[in-house]
Amino acid sequence: MRSCISPILPRRAATDWEVGALRSATQAARRGLRTTWWIRLWNRLVLPASHDLREIEVVLKLTAIILLLRPFDVWWVSPFVLLTAGLSLLFPTVRRRPITWWLLSTLIALRVVAVWPLSDNHVYLLAYWCLAIGIALAGPVPSVMLARSSRWLLGAAFACAVLWKAFLSPDYRDERFFRVTLMTDDRFAEAVMLIGGLTADQIRENRAVLEPLPEGAELDRPRGLIEPPRLRAFAAVATWGGLALEGLLGALYLLPIRWIPDLARHTALMLFCVTTYALAPVAGFGWLIATMGLAQCPSDGRIVRAAYVAVFFLVLLYSEIPWTGVLASWMR
Amino acid sequence: MQSDVGVLTTPWRCIAAVPAAVLIVIACLQVTLTRTIGLSPWKGGGFGMFSTTDDAGRRRVRVFVSAPERSEEIAISPALEDLADRAAVLPGDWQFTRLARRVVEREQRRGRPVETVRVECWRIDYAPDTLAATSHLTHAFVYQSDPSEARRH
Repeated sequence: MRSCISPILPRRAATDWEVGALRSATQAARRGLRTTWWIRLWNRLVLPASHDLREIEVVLKLTAIILLLRPFDVWWVSPFVLLTAGLSLLFPTVRRRPITWWLLSTLIALRVVAVWPLSDNHVYLLAYWCLAIGIALAGPVPSVMLARSSRWLLGAAFACAVLWKAFLSPDYRDERFFRVTLMTDDRFAEAVMLIGGLTADQIRENRAVLEPLPEGAELDRPRGLIEPPRLRAFAAVATWGGLALEGLLGALYLLPIRWIPDLARHTALMLFCVTTYALAPVAGFGWLIATMGLAQCPSDGRIVRAAYVAVFFLVLLYSEIPWTGVLASWMR
Repeated sequence: MQSDVGVLTTPWRCIAAVPAAVLIVIACLQVTLTRTIGLSPWKGGGFGMFSTTDDAGRRRVRVFVSAPERSEEIAISPALEDLADRAAVLPGDWQFTRLARRVVEREQRRGRPVETVRVECWRIDYAPDTLAATSHLTHAFVYQSDPSEARRH
């Protein structure tokens, strides 16, 4: 700008009019630059990404499916999320626009704020993931950007989970958490019957034992828990197996990429999804993790990509088919 | 995974890490809230789910109202359940005050006198080996009809 203006500047002392004109020209030039910058940013956000998005098309579609499968329970957020996710599933031009995902991320964040602090953790992760997609689509190489965001998000989430389990929760380390949860959480009842060997009546008795007595009350004959060795072993495996797998995943995703073979990361993540969500009733997390894993697949890794899509639908089946209950009744 | 070295410039590589940075910031806040106010580790975006028995299902809010010739525990009505759940998960003064105000409004609508609302948060703990369950008071908050007199115990 300076180079354009300086040649016409007179060598004599400038008059007020000339100073004013120069100032106006500079301001106009600055305004012009600023407008250009805003237009460029706006274009980046609103226009569909112009890059080849074949590598992440499936990731975008699966994310839209996740949003459609688990609508939010806030009336002024749900319709907009469903509409945006539905449109992005149907129309490539919608799902390829960064602003679609920024909007979804904002809507999910608003939902988290509206019901604060009751949202589950996978809702937070979904908001971060939509933000990551929005950023990636506005970036120079969306597939690489999204793979990087995915790796960091998974690493951070598993690191937090390990922090809580290994360091901040004494009742996890002494196996209390799973011993209590397996018996009191209805969602694990069929697995407890199948793997732990308890009957429905024994589970009911145990639940009564695990109810606190009214203040000051004492039982004449304290009741004991029915905990066969199989059930204790189940609780121990769930405790230490879960922690080991999450710790491994945290390390695999946070260590430098070149140190770890891709296959090790994919195998560990799929193993986590296949084992954890067979029993843990949080399909939303499973879908999201499988989708984030898929985002890290190289374009030529067709088998791995297909395996991630299969894991996504396996988690869906886990959530819809009470397979532990069917097996338990069949074994009876 | 595709290596991004040489594909992305450093600023873009940093921008790609922004969602994870937000996750870490929120998780740090969550840990702080669990240690200070008593937020349940299961909630708040810190990924503490399935790590402790201190979840929303094992926390309970009890509400007591008192006035001249009246002192009783009241049942949490369906309309107040949402606020009670929030107060149980995050037993802070702000949540207790919101709940207590709604209780006062409801009682006054029904023509019942209220001078003081006492909100208590209880939690079930399990003994390490026997898993014997005990319920204990974690927080108590007293709300006077005049909000300036609200105090915490």
